[in-house]
Amino acid sequence: MRGGYNVPVAGAPLPEIRELPAPDRLYLPLASRRLDFGDVRVEEGQRVARGEVLAVDPEHFSIPLLAPYGGIVRLSEVEGHIVLDELDTTAGDRAAAGSTGAVAERLLALGAWQYLSDARTGDAADPAGRPSATIVSTLRLEPFLAGGEAQLDGALERLARGLEHVRGMAPEAPLYVVVPNADAPLAAELRKAVSACSGAHVVSVPMRFPFDDPALLARYLKLPAGPDTTVWAIPVEGVLAVEAALTDGRPCTERIVSFAGPAVTEPTHFRLVPGHPVADILAERLCREPARVINGGLLTGVVLSPEQRGVDSECTGLTVVGEPTRQTLLAFARPGISRRSYNRSFVGTLRTDMSMRYRAGLSGEVRPCIACGQCADVCPAGILPQVIHRHLYADRLEEAQRTRVDLCVGCGLCSFVCPSKIDLRTELLDAKRVLREEEEALRAEAEAEAARAAEAKAAEAEETQAGEVTV
Amino acid sequence: MKIVRDLLDRVEPLFREGGRFRLFRPIYAAGAAILLSPLDRTRAAPHVRDPLDVKRYMSLVIIALLPCMAASVYFFGLRVLAMVLVSYAAGGAVEVLFAIVRKDDVNEGFLVTGLLFPLVLPPSTPFWMVAVGVVFGVLVGKELFGGTGRNLFNPALVGRVFLALAYPRAMSSSWGIPGSGLFGHVTQFSVDAVSGATPLAAAKSGGLVPLWDLFFGSVSGSAGETSAAAVLLGGAFLLLVGVASWRTVAATLGAFAVMTFALHGGSPMMTLWHLLAGGILFGAFFMATDPVSSPLTKAGRWSYGIIIGVAAALIRNLTGYVEGVMFAILLGNVFAPILDEIFVTARVRRLREEG
Repeated sequence: MRGGYNVPVAGAPLPEIRELPAPDRLYLPLASRRLDFGDVRVEEGQRVARGEVLAVDPEHFSIPLLAPYGGIVRLSEVEGHIVLDELDTTAGDRAAAGSTGAVAERLLALGAWQYLSDARTGDAADPAGRPSATIVSTLRLEPFLAGGEAQLDGALERLARGLEHVRGMAPEAPLYVVVPNADAPLAAELRKAVSACSGAHVVSVPMRFPFDDPALLARYLKLPAGPDTTVWAIPVEGVLAVEAALTDGRPCTERIVSFAGPAVTEPTHFRLVPGHPVADILAERLCREPARVINGGLLTGVVLSPEQRGVDSECTGLTVVGEPTRQTLLAFARPGISRRSYNRSFVGTLRTDMSMRYRAGLSGEVRPCIACGQCADVCPAGILPQVIHRHLYADRLEEAQRTRVDLCVGCGLCSFVCPSKIDLRTELLDAKRVLREEEEALRAEAEAEAARAAEAKAAEAEETQAGEVTV
Repeated sequence: MKIVRDLLDRVEPLFREGGRFRLFRPIYAAGAAILLSPLDRTRAAPHVRDPLDVKRYMSLVIIALLPCMAASVYFFGLRVLAMVLVSYAAGGAVEVLFAIVRKDDVNEGFLVTGLLFPLVLPPSTPFWMVAVGVVFGVLVGKELFGGTGRNLFNPALVGRVFLALAYPRAMSSSWGIPGSGLFGHVTQFSVDAVSGATPLAAAKSGGLVPLWDLFFGSVSGSAGETSAAAVLLGGAFLLLVGVASWRTVAATLGAFAVMTFALHGGSPMMTLWHLLAGGILFGAFFMATDPVSSPLTKAGRWSYGIIIGVAAALIRNLTGYVEGVMFAILLGNVFAPILDEIFVTARVRRLREEG
């Protein structure tokens, strides 16, 4: 693996997991990063049980939004949310729906399928599809999302059982389990647990962001690529969800979510359910300064919309970072004792264990590319962001395609290191999306063309047949 | 801090649309950006950014040039500082003019060009000539290509070549005698310009300046490049902070050494002598490493350095010119786009094979 960088940012969460006081109500957002639960299956005022389907995403194989607790449904109270009132937090009443049927159906009904994705595109995995390989990653390296250590929380036995289930879902596809190549005791235990699972290949990867990216791992493992082959990627909490669903028939509703960042007073992990009020989490836990709450990590997350009232069902972390507020006189000319940069241009570089209190600012002015090459150095995909930037700047989209903008995994490190503060990640991802849409449009057109041709051929054949009859 | 903010806030309306100096807004913007760190927020992921910006990137080059500056003042007097001021004023005027016309920001890269340029001139160059050279360099070498980041050639070298071709006598036959002793020429404004020979010119006619003098710098030559010690000190700093590409430097000096070694019948002494003489060290550390006019890829930078090193040695030893670093680097600049084409294509092919 090449490139990558661990941003030395302060505010990492402690590995311990805390419980939050049970909320009075849940605010379940109807949209999350990939999913859009547009098809609501419950009615206003309806009493639902824990694990019951509240809504499904019709675009993504009807992946469901499950009721984390029992309660009364309120649909019109908060825009874009299903509110659950009069909560019944006692576990036990399980959904009957998921206990039978094919494995994929059970996983869908019990909320475990949403963890399966196509490694290369990041899209939801097709329940009807068969993978050519499966990658399970115990790593999550973006600051400060809840990674394997927190997600597992000692559940190594469940992980081992879960891996057997995952293996059983696609017996002929090789199973790769990605573990950190660190000396930490947990890494060793993890390796041992995984090695015990028959047929799982252990892949040791350095703990450097973003080496946990499924697309990078698929390339690194030289797994077959193509329009007809898919590689499944499952994070470690996904394996636990599969285990819960297939061993016990339990719906997967709890999540481990990190709450961290430079502007959080006590960065930690919380065990909570989707819909937990964001306000409850933020209350009393933020530094007194203007700050930005990010749904996701510092490098790829999105600003949490003020309209979003509850934690969504894909959230792995909320990150809070202060907005820039203070201007410094001649900052660029100072030694920078408390600053570190990707290259070594501040004195703080000498303090290797120092972490920095970054703010959500550009920390510089936007300038033309000076071709320093740092983006290419740090790029884990091996592409040359500065070259692609030049092509895109000159509107040469086909050149960007030739220089493999499609390999961009959107880790954001190029934008992070750019001294000219160019928004490379957005540029590259936009170009990648446009090219993908073009390609899909072309494919659809070609298919339509082929269908028309086949129809015409059939009609012609019919005609000749008819002609023969008359003769 | 507060005082500066207040002052900036007070003058800002003058530069706004409708203000008296609205045309000169780039000057205000540049001043404000240099004095106070900006508050611009990130609009999308990644939400945080590395603290390194172009201002610091360029100021590190300027810091790396300080030993050379000090050495040149020591050897050739305070006049060198005046040359730097003239260069900044004249070149800065062109930069600001183009910023106004383009309605764009003044770019910090000029601060490096404006300092590099006088350091590669003879210390007795007339001020008007410094001004003409830097204006030509910035105008033709950079602005006509579209400004910072789009220039093909190193602007300081374009200016230097222009002067060398336009005023060959002033540029090659009048050199100052370097100062010596505790204070050197620090206490005097200028040194006597004599029609003497630089170590390289003397070497062509058979006289070799001692190695120690070359290392220390007490020889005649361009203002900033006579002292190998000062160049190495600043150059080491540039490599240490990761601003200059060590690949470019290593390839340039390595190829130059190998070529010189071959041309001088395998004499290590002569190889060392040539490495310390003239502008090869200064060129390798400060001119060839200009990222904009270098190739983009690592392999490209190795090849680029080799082209420069070989060309510099060839010009110096086999042509009528006594020094060839300037031409060699410009030649390297010419090769940079094709090297990019070759190595980017190679990279794309490798990516395809990886699948």
